[in-house]
Amino acid sequence: MDRRSAVNTSVTHHTTHRRSKSYGRTFDATSRFCYTPGQLTITRIPTSREAAKAHKITEKVDPEQVALLVKNEWKLSYVTPLYQFRYTLLNVYAKHLSAFLVAEKQQGTAVEVGLETGFKVTFSTVLGMVETKDDAETVFIQIHSKPVFASAGDTPRVVWSGWLTCINGDPEYLQSLPPEFVSLPLFCTSGTESLTFLVKLWFERTFDCSFGSLSLDPNDLQWLAALWTGCHSDNNIRSLKLAWTLPAQPPLDVSLTVNGQDAWDLWEKVRPGDRADDSVSIEEVKCFITGIESHFFRHFKIHLSAGVLKKVSTALGSVHLDGKIKITCSDYMITVMTLLTECAILKMPTI
Amino acid sequence: MLKPFRKVPVLNTASLLLVENEEQLQTRLADIIVQNEKDVNITVRLARKLPLPEENQDSRPRIDLIVFIVNLRSERSLQSAEQSVKYLDPGFFLGKVCFVVTGARCLSGSSNRLLTARKLAASLHCPLLFAEDQTNEGVITVAVRLLGILKVAAGLVPLTTGLYLNSLSHCMIPSDLEQNLD
Repeated sequence: MDRRSAVNTSVTHHTTHRRSKSYGRTFDATSRFCYTPGQLTITRIPTSREAAKAHKITEKVDPEQVALLVKNEWKLSYVTPLYQFRYTLLNVYAKHLSAFLVAEKQQGTAVEVGLETGFKVTFSTVLGMVETKDDAETVFIQIHSKPVFASAGDTPRVVWSGWLTCINGDPEYLQSLPPEFVSLPLFCTSGTESLTFLVKLWFERTFDCSFGSLSLDPNDLQWLAALWTGCHSDNNIRSLKLAWTLPAQPPLDVSLTVNGQDAWDLWEKVRPGDRADDSVSIEEVKCFITGIESHFFRHFKIHLSAGVLKKVSTALGSVHLDGKIKITCSDYMITVMTLLTECAILKMPTI
Repeated sequence: MLKPFRKVPVLNTASLLLVENEEQLQTRLADIIVQNEKDVNITVRLARKLPLPEENQDSRPRIDLIVFIVNLRSERSLQSAEQSVKYLDPGFFLGKVCFVVTGARCLSGSSNRLLTARKLAASLHCPLLFAEDQTNEGVITVAVRLLGILKVAAGLVPLTTGLYLNSLSHCMIPSDLEQNLD
């Protein structure tokens, strides 16, 4: 006789234990197969940063240019080092790019009668934003175009703007590059997707670089939330808004608005009293976010740590996980840009 | 508190406990493990977290292998596993505990979590397996691997014990990585 029939219960059985009611939602794992960074990049992620100090950036940089930078919401990409990019040839580049754009637009079968005819491109440097001697100067690009049916006196309006920057880039990495390369790893764009694509194509052909979209980590968003909250004493953040997406069916979006003063109180409690150095460590950031999440759990019985933090916004700026950033207060621009430059350098595929 | 040697083993039987906070991969793994093995009586029990309820204490068989399934896509999964580990008797960590990690390919924030999971497994001296839970072949692969470890832990493989296998396959963090982290 088969041994198995001697056992009373069925041979193999499984029982479920402990279906507690607090977490009643099922998971819907979305598959995202992406390139994972190698092991070495883990060692380069910093565990502590300087607290955001108010840098009056308008002292060093032309206020008009700063105004251009804080106006828009920028979409982020990373770019590999540019080969033989000369700061002296910016006007030449501007002419080439506008010719390229016109040529690309005329390439299609139908002639578009729209706004994008007759482009005027300007390249300019934003001097004064760099922090270390290894950083290259920021380059700002604008595309103006005149609408077709405009009268002669109309000024062209800006249809696209973008800037390439490197602020406080990793000095080891920057010094390891061969001398013909200029590294401006962060590329911020604002405008139509087709123009962005054409500009990137032109850069790729002219400077032999490659672009990629910079999607951020929830960790980076947590850093920014903590850094901005830390600035509350100098510059009122008014409120800290956080948005999570929980994997439920259907996906649940949670948006939490914390009063600025309360967020500041929590942040102060997380940080030990008086510190000799102004640095913020990742444990403090984690503690801060865990505090907010456990407060939410106490009221709504939902574990926010099971979800993904998608968006952080304060009065000083907002950042989205897809790689969109908006800075409304120029005082803390350097710190935010430092963080984003780091992200760009880390996400860049290195050999 | 689960103790490894409190109960008497049964002839030709192996018993597995799968602990997973999301209850996603557990059921599929359980089905495949049970279907694949014809010679040995396998019992698979599922739990969301430890400690296990007191009332089942007597009817529960002796557990040979405990597998913690951590989904790297959510922070909660890792936190729950870290908290559950505290409810195990130290005797379990001599070859009767294993960690399975899913979603390591996904980029969003998982590199830090993977590192935390590796540090957890290395500090407890347990093996860490990577599982692909999106495809059927992936689930079958990890089920077959777990079955192999289970049979050794249950003493069904001659000349091998769980402790011996553990000393060969436990998770280690290379020393240069550890240095850079401090």
